[in-house]
Amino acid sequence: MICLASPRILVIGGGPAGLSASIDLFEAGADVVLVEKEDVLGGTPKKLHYSLIAPDLKPVEEVLDPLIRQVESSAVTKKLGTVVSAIENGNGHVNVTFTSNGGKEEAVFDAVILATGFTHWDPHKKYEYGYGVYPDVIDFKDFEKMLSDDNLARPSNGKMPARIGWLLCVGSRDRQVGKFYCCRVGCAVSIKQAMEVKKKHPEIDTYIYYMDIRTYGFWEDQLYWKAMEDLNVKFIRGRIGAISKGDEGSLVAMAEDTILQRPSEVPFDMLVLTTGMEASQGTVEMAKLLGLEMEEHGFVRPLEADSLPVHTTVENVFVAGTATGPKAIPDAITEGSAAAIKAFNYVRRSRGKKATGRSMKKDARAYAE
Amino acid sequence: MSILKNLPQRKDEQYPSMIIAGAREHGEQPHELANKIFSEMRGDFRYKEFVLGCLNCGECTTGCPAARFYDFSPREMLQVAMSDDPDVLLDAMQEKIWACCQCYTCNMRCRFGNDIAGIISVMRELAVRNGLESAKEVLKPASRSLLKVMTHGTQVSPDMIQPDFFIDWDPKAVSKTGDLIALRKAIPIDVLQVTDSSWEVSMQTALELAQIYEESGVLDMLRSLDPDLVEMIVDIISDWKDEFEEMKEKFGI
Ligand code: SF4
Ligand code: SF4
Ligand code: SF4
Repeated sequence: MICLASPRILVIGGGPAGLSASIDLFEAGADVVLVEKEDVLGGTPKKLHYSLIAPDLKPVEEVLDPLIRQVESSAVTKKLGTVVSAIENGNGHVNVTFTSNGGKEEAVFDAVILATGFTHWDPHKKYEYGYGVYPDVIDFKDFEKMLSDDNLARPSNGKMPARIGWLLCVGSRDRQVGKFYCCRVGCAVSIKQAMEVKKKHPEIDTYIYYMDIRTYGFWEDQLYWKAMEDLNVKFIRGRIGAISKGDEGSLVAMAEDTILQRPSEVPFDMLVLTTGMEASQGTVEMAKLLGLEMEEHGFVRPLEADSLPVHTTVENVFVAGTATGPKAIPDAITEGSAAAIKAFNYVRRSRGKKATGRSMKKDARAYAE
Repeated sequence: MSILKNLPQRKDEQYPSMIIAGAREHGEQPHELANKIFSEMRGDFRYKEFVLGCLNCGECTTGCPAARFYDFSPREMLQVAMSDDPDVLLDAMQEKIWACCQCYTCNMRCRFGNDIAGIISVMRELAVRNGLESAKEVLKPASRSLLKVMTHGTQVSPDMIQPDFFIDWDPKAVSKTGDLIALRKAIPIDVLQVTDSSWEVSMQTALELAQIYEESGVLDMLRSLDPDLVEMIVDIISDWKDEFEEMKEKFGI
């Protein structure tokens, strides 16, 4: 009889990946519960008020709101302001306890999709950049908000800046802070921010300090080249290693211009730190509850990073989005769909067999094939 | 035979110059001394630990005080250490490595985790060991301090405060040297009443130090730089040894 019931699937996290997974599961006929700890859907991009989204430079609302509306108008069970506080996974059943203001609640699922995402790295830990010391040193998520509010006034004195600098790879590619990996989107987002500034305020000077510019694929010409050719965004190859106070409240960025092989000192009105991505608290906690393996950078380990990117080391748990590593919004959305079909097919197939929910690589691999 | 494809076809005596290469006529081989120093550096157990790789970010150079005043950069030094060209190494050792003041700021900054100050000091050690002119030049003004350190274990002594030694010092400091002995005697701490070292060093301590310098190879290292200085040190120490033996005999130790 159980074969006739719809697969019961829990999606944890209401960001781009979780939204897209929920929509596809619902359309396939699954019984979907979407749990989100915030009171709104849309994940980090909405919560932190991102501005335009690469590559088409559409406002975040235009990109994510259609997904949110689809979920909202569907029969997906939405549990907002709710967290998963306990999980028992065995014999093919996942017993989940939800906790919210309204108290505790339990439910049983056949599979789980983890879409709990990332957080921006905290730049306080790189003290030489003066974040938290100089009000005009801000990080790029704060700058996204300033852009979407259309308010670029300097935090220190409320005046419009005449020169803004970006420092890439803060909390990425850095052994000192234990973040060895590249954030994948920082270059593109920073260049996009500089383009947004230049389009609205051509009089503002914009400088980007970089080690490497990693604007993958089409971002190269859509962002990097365009920023240089059309908008006069300037690029300095070298990193700011120290920031000091200059005249009239300016910030002097000290760097080595590694192409000219000369020390460079440029006064700025505002400096933006392009912070890296790390697994969110939610990702770490949920992975623990679900008994998932983590990989060396602190993200969830996919069963096979190359061929089974949305499977995890537990057979009935799937993963999508930045929980497995830095990713752009379109990629997270794609992975949400991928995890949806994998989870759906897994449940259909396993109902014929004796599913165990054991945490064994071989089993999961066999199911995957 | 390697199973890897597309490797360069190099003969043993050809040196790859991958990162920075020195200027050489075609077919010309690197300096013999350069080869020796190069293999000594690569063979040093610290090399593997200190030199990891480099993102060429320049943060080390940004924080480096020496880079502000000289044509010097820790980023360049790290690149030199990574260069497969021995001449590039020897070239940097002729002058540049001595600009560093070993403050270790570069290490604090380096996101790759290199020990840049450390590899610079390895290069300096090699410059001393191999008697490079640059090392002689750098150590010349310090030979008197070296003599003091290696015989007394203290670096500067009151009787060194002489116009010919510290020519750029405050003239008043020089004028105070006249009644130095009396001034020192006035200090109410026993061990400070000497003028030929900062404080009185017991002969046994000095001899033990000398033994350390000898057995650790420091004396040999110095010999290639300043044989006269080493001669002087050895003379002083052997006098003391004799004196010490006599004393032991006299007091029946
Ligand atoms: S994407 Fe760009 S900013 Fe981000 S870590 Fe990579 S190189 Fe640095
Ligand atoms: S240790 Fe030497 S190279 Fe490093 S920052 Fe200090 S002076 Fe510069
Ligand atoms: S800080 Fe480290 S990685 Fe950066 S240029 Fe210097 S040696 Fe290279």
